[in-house]
Amino acid sequence: MPPFRAAGRLALLLAVLAEAPLAARAQTDGGVGETIEVAGERPGGSAQAPGAAGTTVDMARFSGEVRSAAEVLATSPGATVHQSGAPGQSASLSLRGASADESLILLDGIPLQGPGGGSIDLATLPAALLDRMIVSRGVLGAQLGAGALGGAVELVPRRATSRPSGGAQASIGSFGTAQVEGDFASGGALLGIQLDRTAGDFDYAARVPPEAPTFYGYTRQNSDARRASGLFRLEQRPAADTELDLLLQATAGDRGLPGAVTLTTTHSRSLDQGGLAGARLRGSAGRLAWAVRAWGRADRIELRGVQLTNDCTDGGADCPRSDERSSTARAEGEIAAQLGGRQFLKAIISGGEEWIAGAPTGSHRRPLTSLALSDDVVLPLDVTVHPALRIDRVGPDTAVSPGVTATVRPAGPLEFRAGWGLSFRPASFAELYLDQGGVAPNETLSPERAWSADAGAAWRSPHLTLAANVFWSRYRELILYQLYPPFRSKPYNTGAARIAGVELQATGSLPWGVTAEAAYTFLDAVNLRSGLEGHHLVYRPPHQLFGRLARRGDRLEGYAGLTFRSEMPRDAFDSAHLPAQLRIDAGAGIRAVGPLWIDFEVKNLLDDQTQQDLFQYPLPGLSLALIARARL
Amino acid sequence: MKRTAFALILAAACGGKYKAPPAQKSIALPTGAQLKPYDPAHPGNANPQGLAQVGDKVYATISNQYYDAAAQTVVNAGPGFLVGIVPSTGAQTLIDLGGSDEKQCQNPGFVRDSNGLLYAPCSGNFSGVDSGRALVEVDPAGAKVTRRAAIPDGRVPNGVAPGAAKIWMGDAFSLQVFSVDRATFTADPSMAALTLDCPQTPKTGFSYVADVLILYGDLYALCASDIAGTLFRFDSATGAAKGSVAVGPTPSEMSSTFDGRVAVINSGNNTLSLVTVSGATMTADNKALTYPSGTSILQDLRSRDNFLFTVASGSNSAQKIDLTAKGGPKIVQAASFGDGSNPYNIFPLDDDQAIVTNRQTNSIAAAQWVVVP
Repeated sequence: MPPFRAAGRLALLLAVLAEAPLAARAQTDGGVGETIEVAGERPGGSAQAPGAAGTTVDMARFSGEVRSAAEVLATSPGATVHQSGAPGQSASLSLRGASADESLILLDGIPLQGPGGGSIDLATLPAALLDRMIVSRGVLGAQLGAGALGGAVELVPRRATSRPSGGAQASIGSFGTAQVEGDFASGGALLGIQLDRTAGDFDYAARVPPEAPTFYGYTRQNSDARRASGLFRLEQRPAADTELDLLLQATAGDRGLPGAVTLTTTHSRSLDQGGLAGARLRGSAGRLAWAVRAWGRADRIELRGVQLTNDCTDGGADCPRSDERSSTARAEGEIAAQLGGRQFLKAIISGGEEWIAGAPTGSHRRPLTSLALSDDVVLPLDVTVHPALRIDRVGPDTAVSPGVTATVRPAGPLEFRAGWGLSFRPASFAELYLDQGGVAPNETLSPERAWSADAGAAWRSPHLTLAANVFWSRYRELILYQLYPPFRSKPYNTGAARIAGVELQATGSLPWGVTAEAAYTFLDAVNLRSGLEGHHLVYRPPHQLFGRLARRGDRLEGYAGLTFRSEMPRDAFDSAHLPAQLRIDAGAGIRAVGPLWIDFEVKNLLDDQTQQDLFQYPLPGLSLALIARARL
Repeated sequence: MKRTAFALILAAACGGKYKAPPAQKSIALPTGAQLKPYDPAHPGNANPQGLAQVGDKVYATISNQYYDAAAQTVVNAGPGFLVGIVPSTGAQTLIDLGGSDEKQCQNPGFVRDSNGLLYAPCSGNFSGVDSGRALVEVDPAGAKVTRRAAIPDGRVPNGVAPGAAKIWMGDAFSLQVFSVDRATFTADPSMAALTLDCPQTPKTGFSYVADVLILYGDLYALCASDIAGTLFRFDSATGAAKGSVAVGPTPSEMSSTFDGRVAVINSGNNTLSLVTVSGATMTADNKALTYPSGTSILQDLRSRDNFLFTVASGSNSAQKIDLTAKGGPKIVQAASFGDGSNPYNIFPLDDDQAIVTNRQTNSIAAAQWVVVP
C-alpha cells in the first residue's frame, strides 16, 4: 500500500479552505455585519508562577475540531508530546526536554498522577471539558511544587457560571472514532461529560525488513479505546466575601495495548479508572486574602494479557492480571497579604499523604508536607520581581526549591522577563516499588535535581503578540532504568543532562478575521551521563514548528495547521533516529442553523502512513471527522 | 570491459562456489512434552539459540524454558537439548544434554564445533551456583553427550571457544574468561581465569563477557558494558595478553572475516566494527557500517566468503553485508522473519542462504532475502 496517496484530497480541501475567507470578505463587502472573533492568546499566564515563560492555550480556539489534550499541548512552544498511536492510546508530555515525570500537570491546582504515582497519561484528560491550559516553562518547583523541573501545565476547567449556559459537540470519524461532549452550567454549578471511542484500526506503512527500502501496508490491531469522563464544578458565595468551590472529576477507560510494530500484542489490554475531589473556601478581609482547601485523588489501572516478553491470553494461570492503585489526600491553607502598595506576600502550608497498593508494588505510603512562600514586588520603572521559596518533604526526602522571576516593561507593549529556579523530583512509587515483568524496584532512589535560567522578550499589542525565550538547564541524579541481570532493568540515579533551547511564538490578526500563529522550539538536549557525554538525549527533537491559520466567523470558520518535528535520536549513541515528521491538518465549518455548527476536519492531510513515535508505535495516516456542535 | 564482465559472470556461474540444497522455509522445533519437562504442568518452549554445523546437519541449542508468571522470571522447564537439523528436509535429531538426572545441563545457549565435535555451555538458572551449569561435549555422529565438565560456582558460562588445549568460556555476569582443559575436561581453578575490563557507568553499570572465539590460534574475548566495548586478544594456550582495542558499545558477538579481520557487531549503537590485527597491534574501524535506524538489537554474526551475515532480534531481521562493496561494507540483502519472531542466531548455508533460530516462535527459518539497493 503506498503511504502517500493524498494529492487529490489535498486539492479538494485546500479549495474548501480558500473559499471560507473569500466568502467572509464577500459578506463584509456586501454590508452584512459579521462579528469577527479574534481567537488569540489570553493575556496573563499562570497566577501561581507569575513572570515565568508561559503560553495560555484557549480551548475555544479549537472549537469545531476534535483535539485531545495532547494535540492541544503540542501547539505550545517548549512542549513535546509523544503519542503511542491511535486516539485514546497513551500520550506523554515533555516540557523543555524534561521527562514526562518532570513535567507537572495540575487540574485546578491539583497535581495529577498516573496509577504508578508518576506522570499522568494525557489520553485520560477530558480536553473538551477544559476552558484553557496554561503552560509554564522552567524549573518551577518553588512556584508549582516538586516535580516541575521542565515546567507545569495548569488545566483550567470550564467555569460554573451563574446564568444558564452550555454546549454540546458530537463527532464521528475515521477508524470508528467518535466523541460526544456536553456541558451545562447554571446557578454556579457545572456538569460536563465527555465520551470517546475508537476502533483504532488505522492503516500504517512500515519497512519490512527495516533495512529494505520498500514499505508495506498493515492495519493496526488491538488499538481500540473507550473512555468516559465527567466533571462537576460548583462555585458558590456563602457570604459576601467568601467563595466556596467544589470540583469533582472522574474518568474510566478501556483500551487495547497493540505493542510496537515489531512486537504486536493482540491480547493485552488496560483498564483504568481515576478521579479527584476538591473543596476550597476562600475569602478576604481588608488587605488579607485567605484560602483553605482539601482534595484527594485516586487512580487505578489493571493490565490484562501482559507478560514479560509477549502478550498472553487473559484468564490463564500463566497470565495473571496486575492491579495498581494510587491515591493522595491533601489539605492546604493559604494566606496572602498586600504590604503597602507594592508588595503582595503569600504563604501556603500543605500536608497530606499518598498511597500505592497493588500486586506488583505492594502497599506503601508516604507523608507529604510543604511550606511555600512567595512575594510579588513592584519596583520603580515598572519592574516586577517574584521571589519564591518552597520546602517540600516527600517521604524521607526534604528539599528546598528557590526560584525567582522578574519582568520589566520599559515602554508600551514591550516586555522583558527572566527567571531562575532550582528544584527536585522525588522518585515515584513506581520507580521505588514496581516489581513486575522486566522492571525491578529500587527503594534507595534519591530525588532528581535540576536548575534552570531563562530570559525572554515579548511584544504584546492588540493585534500582534511576539515572544522569544532562551533557557539553559542542568539536571543531575536523573533516574534511569538500567540493565539488571539477567532479564530485568532497574532504576538508578545515574543520569545527568544539560538542556538548552530557544522558544519563539507569534500570534497575529490578519485581514478577513484570520488569525495566524506560529510556535518554534529549538532544543539542544545533551547527555552528561558518564560515558555518554556529548550524545543527545533520546526522543528530544531539536526543532519543532507549529503553524496555524484560523478564521472564526459568524457563519463560516476554518483552519489549516502544520506540525513539524525534526529527526530525533532514538538511542543514546546518536546512531538511530526517528525520521522528521510533517503533519498537516485542516478543517472547515458552517453555522447551519441557529447555534448549530457543522464542521469537517482532516488530520494528517498528506496521509503519511509511515510516521511513528516512541518505541516504533505507528501513528494514523489521513483521518476524517464530521463534527456537530452548539453552544448557548 | 564487457568481455571482463561476461567472464566474471561465467566464472560465478560455473566457478564452484558451494550451493547448499534449498532450505525449508520454516522448521518447527520440538516443544512442550517433547522436551521432557520436569513438571508436566509447566512444559517448556524450545527457545532455540546457538547454531553450528557438522556434516550436513546444523545443530541448534534448545533452551527449554517457560515464563513463570507468579515468580516473574524465566524458568528452566527441563534439560537442555541440541537439535540436529537437515535444513533442506527439516529432518531432526534431538540430543538430550541433561545427563542421568536430566539436570546436568540446563539452558544451553552457544554452540560451536571443533574437530567434528560440538561444545555447548549450559548457563543453568543464571544463579551461578546451580548444577545445571556445565560444558558438554557432543558427538553428533552418535547423537550423545561424550563428556561433561561442571562449571565452578560463581561462574555462568556465556560463549564458547574450543582451542587446541583449552576450551574457553566467558562469564555472563562478570568479566572473567575461564577454561576447561580439553584433555581432562575439568575446569580451571578460579585464579587461572583471565579478567577483562571495559568502561561502564560508574556504580550502576553492568559489564560482562559477550563472546569468546578462537581465531588464527589466538583467543579473542569481547568485554561488553552498557556504554562501551573492548575486544581482547590472548594466547589461547597460556592466556597471555596480546592486546586489546575499543569497539562499539555493548558488543554482542564476533566473527572472523574472509580477509583476516575480526568483525564485531555492537548492539548499543547499531554498528559493525572491523578490527585489523597486525603483529601486536590491533586497530578498529568502529563505524565500518552503521545499520539503518529500524534495525534493533543486533544479536549474532557469521562470516562466509566476502559476506557477513547478521541478525537483529528487536527488528526481527537479518542482514547480508558485502565487505567488498564499493565504498565499504554495505547491506546488500535483508530478510524479515515476522512480527515477534525474535531471531537470535544466524548461520549461512552458502553465500545466498542463511537460517536463523527464532527464539520466540520456536523455529528455524530460512532467510527470504530482499535486495537492498
